[in-house]
Amino acid sequence: MILQLNHLQGKQAGASAQEVVSAVYSLLQDGHLDDSQFANLRVHLDWVQYRQNFREVVTVTPCVNHRGETSPLMEIHVDARQVVPCVLREQLLCAVAAARPAIHGESGRMQERIYLEEFSSFRNSIAWQFNKLYWHRLADWEKATGKGYEQALPGGKSDANHPEAIADCVADFWTLLRDLETKNQLPPEIFALEIGVGLGTRLQIWLDRFRDLDAERGTKYYSRVKFLLGDYSLATLDRSRPALRDHLDLCSFIVLDALDPGKTLSFLRHKILHVHLTNVYDNLPDEEFARRDGRLHLVQVRAYLPQSEAARIGKACDVPIREINATIRRLLDAGPEFLGDRARGVSFWQEVWSAVRLEERLIAVEDLPDVELPAGLNPTHLEEILDDAPSDFRFHMSSGALESFRNTLPLLHPRGFLQVQDIFVTSLQDYRLGFHGPGKLDGSIVNWVNGVLLREVGERAGYDVHFAPFRYREGSRTSILYTTQRE
Amino acid sequence: MTLPILPTTVVGSYSMPGWLERLKTEYFARRISRHDLDEVHDTAVKAAIKDQEVAGLDIVTDGELRRDNLIDYFVERLPGVDIDRSSKKFYYDFYDSSVSAKLPMAPLGLADDFRFLRKFTEREAKFCVTGPHSLTKRIRNEFYPTEEALAMDIARVMNLELKELVKAGAKIIQIDEPYFSGFPDDISWGINALNALVEGVQATIAVHICYGNRYGKPSWEGSYRYLFPKILDAKIHQLTLEFARRGGEDLDVFKQLPAPFQLGVGVIDVKTQAVETPHVVAERIRKALEVVPAERMFILPDCGCFHLPRDVAFAKLCAMVEGTKIVRKELGK
Repeated sequence: MILQLNHLQGKQAGASAQEVVSAVYSLLQDGHLDDSQFANLRVHLDWVQYRQNFREVVTVTPCVNHRGETSPLMEIHVDARQVVPCVLREQLLCAVAAARPAIHGESGRMQERIYLEEFSSFRNSIAWQFNKLYWHRLADWEKATGKGYEQALPGGKSDANHPEAIADCVADFWTLLRDLETKNQLPPEIFALEIGVGLGTRLQIWLDRFRDLDAERGTKYYSRVKFLLGDYSLATLDRSRPALRDHLDLCSFIVLDALDPGKTLSFLRHKILHVHLTNVYDNLPDEEFARRDGRLHLVQVRAYLPQSEAARIGKACDVPIREINATIRRLLDAGPEFLGDRARGVSFWQEVWSAVRLEERLIAVEDLPDVELPAGLNPTHLEEILDDAPSDFRFHMSSGALESFRNTLPLLHPRGFLQVQDIFVTSLQDYRLGFHGPGKLDGSIVNWVNGVLLREVGERAGYDVHFAPFRYREGSRTSILYTTQRE
Repeated sequence: MTLPILPTTVVGSYSMPGWLERLKTEYFARRISRHDLDEVHDTAVKAAIKDQEVAGLDIVTDGELRRDNLIDYFVERLPGVDIDRSSKKFYYDFYDSSVSAKLPMAPLGLADDFRFLRKFTEREAKFCVTGPHSLTKRIRNEFYPTEEALAMDIARVMNLELKELVKAGAKIIQIDEPYFSGFPDDISWGINALNALVEGVQATIAVHICYGNRYGKPSWEGSYRYLFPKILDAKIHQLTLEFARRGGEDLDVFKQLPAPFQLGVGVIDVKTQAVETPHVVAERIRKALEVVPAERMFILPDCGCFHLPRDVAFAKLCAMVEGTKIVRKELGK
């Protein structure tokens, strides 16, 4: 057995590594694990910082080869933050029992779980449909909770709106314009784009600051600015308008797909001087891979509700348990009002979202070229990156973020820059030092973004990618990604 | 060899295959030998020539597939230029290069590449070299008093090489100067260096100026207006320029280009993978014909096809040839 501690929060852990090892030994001694399973077992101690997440405190992850045959490798994941030593053995037993059909290649399903989908890459999971529903029906969610979504963020407000950070961004932009003007290369129309607009607060502060700076320096750039606000939710765009009432002449509100802004804005190819995104990449569909002994595995998931939770929700929301799966599908397709009473529908939605969990299995990747990689990242590039990576670690492919990044770059003017404020993993080693998602943030998904892969994709597309810690708020986990033209 | 009206050609580079990129990187990692890489290059060049012939181009190049980028192929041949060979992460990166003493005269060995091209095609052949202004912008100058002085000495060394190319049979030589657009204030000394480069070279001299094509994206924006009037002093025969991506917005500027100057008109946008139809190409040519007569016009892509996938590059060249045929027919030629 290999025990892997994937975190640095030893003092705050609910159980020590020794207690976990002792509990696993007791399963072996009592015959719940055999010698062969024990020999191929990996126990991972994670510290999951998101109180709302997709995991049980103890989960078992079986491994199958590319032909679907069970492999001897088996993983047990323990959330060291929430585990309680006195019930650890019981939880281990339950987790092993839950995974037994998969471990033994049986087709039977556990009675204790109501599955919402078949196994697939996380990217295709129903979890993202919940995420989408949240952004489209944010007002309903907020009405039910009585809280704005920014209040759900750590610290209760968004780093996106930090005045000092915005002032620095404005100063960089103004300097760029000035430099272009000096060289007689400043276009008559100055295009800028923000993807993911929130309540419009950031852009309001940005434009106020830019207008003041422009007036102070007498450069007359402000009136030439065409600021595009892009979001995939029309409801969100509408919510941002009031904040921008002083600048509406400059602003255009555009529904666009963050995964491919070029689909909507191709007429601005090579014309946009500044693109900004805050907390968008961490909320785009993603999938994970695990490397074990140097061999790559795709992490497949399937969403489920624990039977006990499903029963409780069904009773509370007056939905028969046999209909709960179909009711969830209708919720995701039609929104919360389909239950007749919108408030009841939102309540059902929130209860289900809180209870939904992801079961996992590892699928061994036979050949890297067989893996569907995001645009801009080819197998050779990934192989080169993995050459320098730990032989045992689990990482995000950040497919959605890579796709969005790759499809946004062509919009940039040759001297333009992209700035992304988000939670990035900037060294693959860091994946061994902490849990990086996915977690739940209010009704949405939060997931760290693989900055190493973004850097690689950027370089191949002609941009150096830099990460600067968000220095404006102490303790912030946010970083700022910015691009510079690669020579 | 008689060329048809509106002759079609490429700017220089052809699609760089992924497998060749990997092998070039393997070479830098010392996992394959120089001999093996040379053989791979020969094979790739033959395939590039064949693709251009099948697409129907009137003038072909070697696709520049031996080159890592537009700079390094020349700086590693220029005598007296010091190169940090550890400075590349990826084959396409530029070497860190510098010059710390006067450049000596010595051959660069480009004529061998032209002879190879000549051996494998019966079409008219064009050979492309990067010009002294662009090379100067990528070489750290630790000796010459000014950039212009370095550029003039590069031109002096390379002038000899151009004459070797002519001896080897080159009739069309293209000088690439993409950095002009990034540094428009340099145009005066840039043209002086260009003239020194082509002094006494008995060939048709074309100059290609675009807005950059590094990583398949523009490096600069602006207007070709900066070229005038100094460009009229250039001792060249042809200007080949980027128009397709920019919607031909600068075409009118070239009404002032007097005969016998020829204009190479970019009618294929190489910075997108969307393949133009022959009718789009024909329309772009017709628009250019409002500025320059057909007798003084060449048809090309905006820039090299280096960054395009091979199938896309090939399809674009085919569309370019077909679009040109439409206009030739309209002209009754």
